Amino acid sequence: MAESEADVAVIGGGPAGLHAALVLARGGLSVVLLDESDTLGGQYYKRRTDQLTAAFGDFRPRGTELIHRVRAAGVVVRTGTLVWGAEDAGRTLFTSDVRTGALGRITTRATLAATGAYERSLPFPGWTLPGVVTPGFALHLATMDRVPVGQRVVLAGTGPFLLPVACALLEVGARIEALVELNHPYRPSTSAIGGALRQPARLAEAARYLLTLARHGVGVEQGARVLAAHGDTQVTAVDIGQEDGGVRQLETDALCVGFGFRPSTELPRLLGCDTRADPTGTEQLPVVDADGATSVDGLYVAGDCAGIAGVHAAGVRGQLAAHAILRRLAPERAPVRLSGLRRRARALDRFAELADRLYPLPTTADIPDATQVCRCEGVSAGEIREAAATGWNDLHGTKAATRAGMGPCQGRECGHIVAALTGRNESWAECFAARMPIRPLPMAATVEGQDVP
Amino acid sequence: MSPNSLPETVTVTIDGTPGEAWAGQSVTAVLVAAGIWPLRRNPVNGQLRGPFCGMGVCLECEVTINGRPGSRSCTAHVAEGMDIRTHTEPLPTAAHG
Repeated sequence: MAESEADVAVIGGGPAGLHAALVLARGGLSVVLLDESDTLGGQYYKRRTDQLTAAFGDFRPRGTELIHRVRAAGVVVRTGTLVWGAEDAGRTLFTSDVRTGALGRITTRATLAATGAYERSLPFPGWTLPGVVTPGFALHLATMDRVPVGQRVVLAGTGPFLLPVACALLEVGARIEALVELNHPYRPSTSAIGGALRQPARLAEAARYLLTLARHGVGVEQGARVLAAHGDTQVTAVDIGQEDGGVRQLETDALCVGFGFRPSTELPRLLGCDTRADPTGTEQLPVVDADGATSVDGLYVAGDCAGIAGVHAAGVRGQLAAHAILRRLAPERAPVRLSGLRRRARALDRFAELADRLYPLPTTADIPDATQVCRCEGVSAGEIREAAATGWNDLHGTKAATRAGMGPCQGRECGHIVAALTGRNESWAECFAARMPIRPLPMAATVEGQDVP
Repeated sequence: MSPNSLPETVTVTIDGTPGEAWAGQSVTAVLVAAGIWPLRRNPVNGQLRGPFCGMGVCLECEVTINGRPGSRSCTAHVAEGMDIRTHTEPLPTAAHG
């Protein structure tokens, strides 16, 4: 097993991890930056491959520039490396090389988890059909690969993310058959507008997207939702439930449905840090101070895995966490004035709270019993409800009784729904326990000395 | 930045049929562009499944790439001569019993 040491390990090469690594390295600490992907950038600063950049240009030049600065500052960058376990308050990290499966162990003096988020999916009849995808998948195909997810596309769910996805689809020549938003965010109340006006850049961004959509004749249908997807070997039609109770059916090649994002908190939870329910009441977030310090001494979290707040907040939170780690490990260095960063962090957090109010989640109570919830193990909502109703099954008992959450994705897609369907206590979000390995790795990799094909 | 030129193309084989893709595209993009959505069958209930999350989380997009089964097509990039195999054939009866 390959052993290495660093003052600080930063897990996740997205906006939070990149900004943090830069501050830490410039502060004179040895930093290793780990990411499972083969390039840095995370989901937001994701970059086209060299061949496609040469032809189509750089999709996120600001991310490319940030990555150059991180490398120039002397950060040890290890892409294609997944962290599948940790112990000793995160000072020992277990890694695996994505390509070879080779195991590694990294010893640190402090660790920053900047592991980002997943898209939140909510199950409905037909959501497992090929051609039903997350909006993020459609965005990736359009921006990275220049491929439309379909010639005719239906977009649905809730959240501001649907807008840039729709625009990216138009740019690669797809037709938007419908853009269906569950809530009514685009005629907000006066109080909501007051909050948004304090973030004029974000407001302008949303306005640009809406303008582009309008120019292409795409309207946002508010207060409507996807009820079901139909098809034989792939999706061919979608039922949309309208606000007046009517249902209309649309033919489509692809359906993108998403309900915002969920923090990826396995690593801090594995290390036993204190948690609290997130604003949606469906996730457990690490409890952190203003600098991202958790209850586990030496473990910090930043970016969306500390609570969904977007790219700009991730960058600011990454810097604040890095400064806190510097104060801890190199206190002899002159203190840096952080009041500007802190003010910006608070303003961005308030904006995220506004988004939570504008885009509330639907109830899980009306998911039909026949709907598959756990995609991997094919477990339906009815089976989960039945297991939970036996009187002794809590979330973990339900998992054992039904196998929900036990498949290859390890509950990453369905965990929050299984928790909601089994939940007894609405004030506390339960979730599946984080266990090693927290990322899938080849079985052979866990056997010391064994070759992985 | 405006496009300089179209990317170079590579030849890949999907289930034995050769075709062209842009160098550097993800394997899922090449499959979607070819209209190939179902990539495998769910081993529990035999239902057809295709790529869903596009970021390596759901594992619904697994195919065999150059003989290596369980490869996530969303995080793999095509290269000249790549052999891609989907797994949409019916499950053997024993798998149900």
